[in-house]
Amino acid sequence: MSPRRNPLGTRRLPRRRASGGAISVWLIALLVALIATVQIRSEAEVARSLVGIDTTSLAFLIDDLHRANESLQAESTDLAQRKATLESGGSGAADQVLSDEAKHLRAVEGLVPVHGPGVVITIDATGLTALDLQDALNNLAAGGAEAMAVNDRRVVAGVPIEQTGSGVAVDGVFIAAPWTITTIGDSNRIGEVADAMTQQLRADRRVRQASYRVEADVSIRAVISERPFVYAVGS
Amino acid sequence: MTRRQMLSLVAVAVVALTTGFLVAGQVRAQLLTPSNQVARYQALVRSVQDLEATNADARAKIAALRAQIDALESEAAGRSAATQALRNQVADLRAHAGLTAMHGPGIEVRLANGAPGPDSGGLTGYLVNYQDVQDVVNLLFAQGAEGISVNGRRITPLTAYSGSAGQVIIDQGPPLSSPIKVTAVGDRNRMAAALDDSSALPDIRARQVQFQLHLTFVGSPDLLLPAYDSSLRIPHVTAS
Repeated sequence: MSPRRNPLGTRRLPRRRASGGAISVWLIALLVALIATVQIRSEAEVARSLVGIDTTSLAFLIDDLHRANESLQAESTDLAQRKATLESGGSGAADQVLSDEAKHLRAVEGLVPVHGPGVVITIDATGLTALDLQDALNNLAAGGAEAMAVNDRRVVAGVPIEQTGSGVAVDGVFIAAPWTITTIGDSNRIGEVADAMTQQLRADRRVRQASYRVEADVSIRAVISERPFVYAVGS
Repeated sequence: MTRRQMLSLVAVAVVALTTGFLVAGQVRAQLLTPSNQVARYQALVRSVQDLEATNADARAKIAALRAQIDALESEAAGRSAATQALRNQVADLRAHAGLTAMHGPGIEVRLANGAPGPDSGGLTGYLVNYQDVQDVVNLLFAQGAEGISVNGRRITPLTAYSGSAGQVIIDQGPPLSSPIKVTAVGDRNRMAAALDDSSALPDIRARQVQFQLHLTFVGSPDLLLPAYDSSLRIPHVTAS
């Protein structure tokens, strides 16, 4: 028997208990550390995945959706009223509904002169491009403009605004500086857009002058010619 | 218990205590704050999702009401030639306003996000934005497109684009994001030639090089455009 071996084995048991306890403590510490690490990493992962859209953008999105839903609700109410008129009347009611819609759609498509409250913006600049004008018109449309014209040329989505050798052309006609953009719509909302836009334009070296005025009744006399479809067929 | 065992137990306790303090500190500094941010963010996302659901319901209701009105008008037109003539006029106006579905030859343009560059920092040039969509739609209209839809949303004479950070909002619709499909009915050869022109869409072309933004297109003999399902109200405009 080796002198190093414990002849009675009496001292080995407490030693096992002590080392077993230490292992348990270490295991628990390891487990806690592991869970904490996994938790922290997963939280960080979630946070990283949300980087794409910041909370400010989300807030703007919520604002846009609120406004969109209000507009959709108003359209629903109008359509429900139109439907009720059609259900209650004969062909006289149908004629009235159809005439009203025709008048409305001609205004939407820029086929008739229109007037109403709005904002007139004047931009005197050299070197502004078709993209600059498209951006300006889109900002105004997004800001509540319901009808627009540039230097007495009626503009709706679909009217070509192109860069030509001599400058910018709207529907094939060259638009010389200064540009006068006439808008009709919610003048408070359009006024805010026009204010921000003209401030930004004044900081542009190409721009000599940019200003706007809010008017109670703006008139747009220019109209667009109807274009028959060549390729498209109604489904 | 020997002195050595005591010492090792104390060492284990000290290490465990230190680990505990470190973990607690880490949790306070790194875990709880982001958790609150995430909760706030999730509340905002839920609001967006609720509003999007309301938006979809409202658009479905508008489409249904328009179909019911059309049926009632058709019925009335069957009883009167004058009503039928008016209905034909309105049908043409509705088609040009995007209120009826249409089909025909055309082109499908696909725009998709690129990859963030190593030196792009917080810039979002690799994401498709609303101005890209606006530029492509304007280019196609300039080349004679007779009708256009973007991810199934019909473009109308009143269409406006907005959005931020890769989100594209068209009129009163829900936000769209990459990939974006622009479908245009019209002269496909003319539209394809314009899209092939290297001087067209300068901003997109520059970001194709810098961020590998995707712009591809394909012609088709027959493409379908859905009807517009939102509002065309112009409450401040009066016909003169």
